[in-house]
Amino acid sequence: MTLSAAPRLVRAPLPSWRRLIRRSPLSLRIGAVILALHAMLAVLGPWLAPYGISQMGTGIPLSGMSWAHPFGVDQLGRDIFSRVIHGSHIVLLLSLTGTGLGVIIGSVIGLLSGYVGGWIDNIVQRLLEAIISIPFLVLALLAIAAAGPQLAGSPTLVILVVALVYAPRVARMARAAAIEIATRDFVTVARLRGERAWSVMRREILPNASSVLLVEFALRAGYAPVLIGSLGFLGFGMRPPTPEWGLMMAENRALIIITPITVIGPGLALASLVVGLNLFTDGLARLIGRTAPRNPA
Amino acid sequence: MTLIRLIGGRVLISLLTLLIVSALIFWILEVLPGDVASRILGRDATPETLALLRAQLHLEDPALTRYLRWLGGMATGDFGTALTSSRPIVTILEPRIFNTVLLAGYAFLLYLPLALIPALIQAVRRDRPADHALSAVTLVLLSMPDFLIATLLLVTFVVAVPLLPAISLVDQSSTALEYFRAMTLPAVTLAIVMAVYAVRMLRDNLIEVLGSDYVRMAELKGLSRRKVLLRHALPNALVPTLNVTALNLAYLIGGVVVVEKVFSYPGFGSLLVDSLQLRDLPLIEATVLIAAAVYIAANLLADIGAILLNPRLRAA
Repeated sequence: MTLSAAPRLVRAPLPSWRRLIRRSPLSLRIGAVILALHAMLAVLGPWLAPYGISQMGTGIPLSGMSWAHPFGVDQLGRDIFSRVIHGSHIVLLLSLTGTGLGVIIGSVIGLLSGYVGGWIDNIVQRLLEAIISIPFLVLALLAIAAAGPQLAGSPTLVILVVALVYAPRVARMARAAAIEIATRDFVTVARLRGERAWSVMRREILPNASSVLLVEFALRAGYAPVLIGSLGFLGFGMRPPTPEWGLMMAENRALIIITPITVIGPGLALASLVVGLNLFTDGLARLIGRTAPRNPA
Repeated sequence: MTLIRLIGGRVLISLLTLLIVSALIFWILEVLPGDVASRILGRDATPETLALLRAQLHLEDPALTRYLRWLGGMATGDFGTALTSSRPIVTILEPRIFNTVLLAGYAFLLYLPLALIPALIQAVRRDRPADHALSAVTLVLLSMPDFLIATLLLVTFVVAVPLLPAISLVDQSSTALEYFRAMTLPAVTLAIVMAVYAVRMLRDNLIEVLGSDYVRMAELKGLSRRKVLLRHALPNALVPTLNVTALNLAYLIGGVVVVEKVFSYPGFGSLLVDSLQLRDLPLIEATVLIAAAVYIAANLLADIGAILLNPRLRAA
């Protein structure tokens, strides 16, 4: 094996930020704007919301859409629009920390297992394959059931469950990337220098897998609000009176005949966040030169 | 020979995965630190009820014995007895699985046209307004959680235009028409979610195939546009979509959990949620294992399909 650098190993000089923005696809820019609005809502929410998080008697209970109450009022007299705004940072924080944790754990497992190879890799592969074969929502519900009633409804549990669902899926992608990178010459050089597996992984493989992992993070983050919302909607996520959007939809579901907007409002907030994340991921993937897989399963 | 070996290998790997899954489920639910009985009963457990439950679940036996006994039961079709209703799990499962298979079949019938027609329009009208408009619609639908799509359908067809029932309760005495009415909204929801995943991939595949030499050849032979599209391009574009369809089948198993709950449809998915809410351990174990088995079987079928459809492997 020759140790000369193949042409593909030469890295293009990093484009400046301005050039990056000019080159970025339209979807990335629209996505970034939507995400910026959501981030603003999450940070400034408490000051922007017309009413308090659990403030009662803000209007006529069970009234529908109006200028004072765009998403209506629930049976306790709470303004749904304000609650949606107050919930913004909860949804974002849970999604990002859960996804981040899952991507970190998954990357470490996947990169190490792919680089080390052999029987360890085989066993890890089989285990990951088995976890992935449990449909992700079922896996999430199973983990919550196993955690028991003491932990139920805590943000920690929701974050851990998101991480548990994503880590094996990220690990599979990271492993594939590691196997591809491990065949390149600079890894051989590092190994011949006598570097240990952990150091090779951290200094040679991780930097080269970072674009794959970045897209993987964006992709998973795009689905995390839906997963958290599904858990809340089914009554296994956050507990009332937390203004988590999926939970709010479930709370107001009994009123759907009278005031449908109290159910649809939080859903629209959730969908707009996910549209932003999806557009951003799509653009990011195109910018980096990878096509993003679409199915969260 | 290679073909049989390849397929046999896939079958063996799938069985191994299923075995690992069964161990995982059992380990997560019964071996994790902490007392199983108190986890099931929660805070209001008395020492007597705890002792009773421990005896009922044979918790004094070593974990491996209990796992092997459970696994043996599952393999021979004896799923044990539900804790809450004291009925054999098989009799609880049977009507629920029947309902969900019916619902899934209905959803799949709707899924095919919902995925094919937009993809065909987009591929033929590539980069025209129709293509962009459908892309935008797909993206928005892709970003909507299934329970939101279900809610929007519910508001439209139950609240605004009262055509269909809000609650899809059916049982053995229901007529075919009642079943049809009850299943329509859940099936449409599932079909939309599945179709959205497939449309984009199908569109890209179709565009690739439409640009290939043999399609140009068919056009030059003077075949009609419709014939070129449906007889020559579509079958080849469908093969890579097989994977998406398997993933969709996998989605369906999780999707029915949410969608059946939204419409109160008494299927397998709502049984799974109910068993988790009631912390009915044997029922949870049975339903989760079945869900995983269906997922593994779907992936196996997709793999075998891909092997059989690959002419290079078929010839070998």
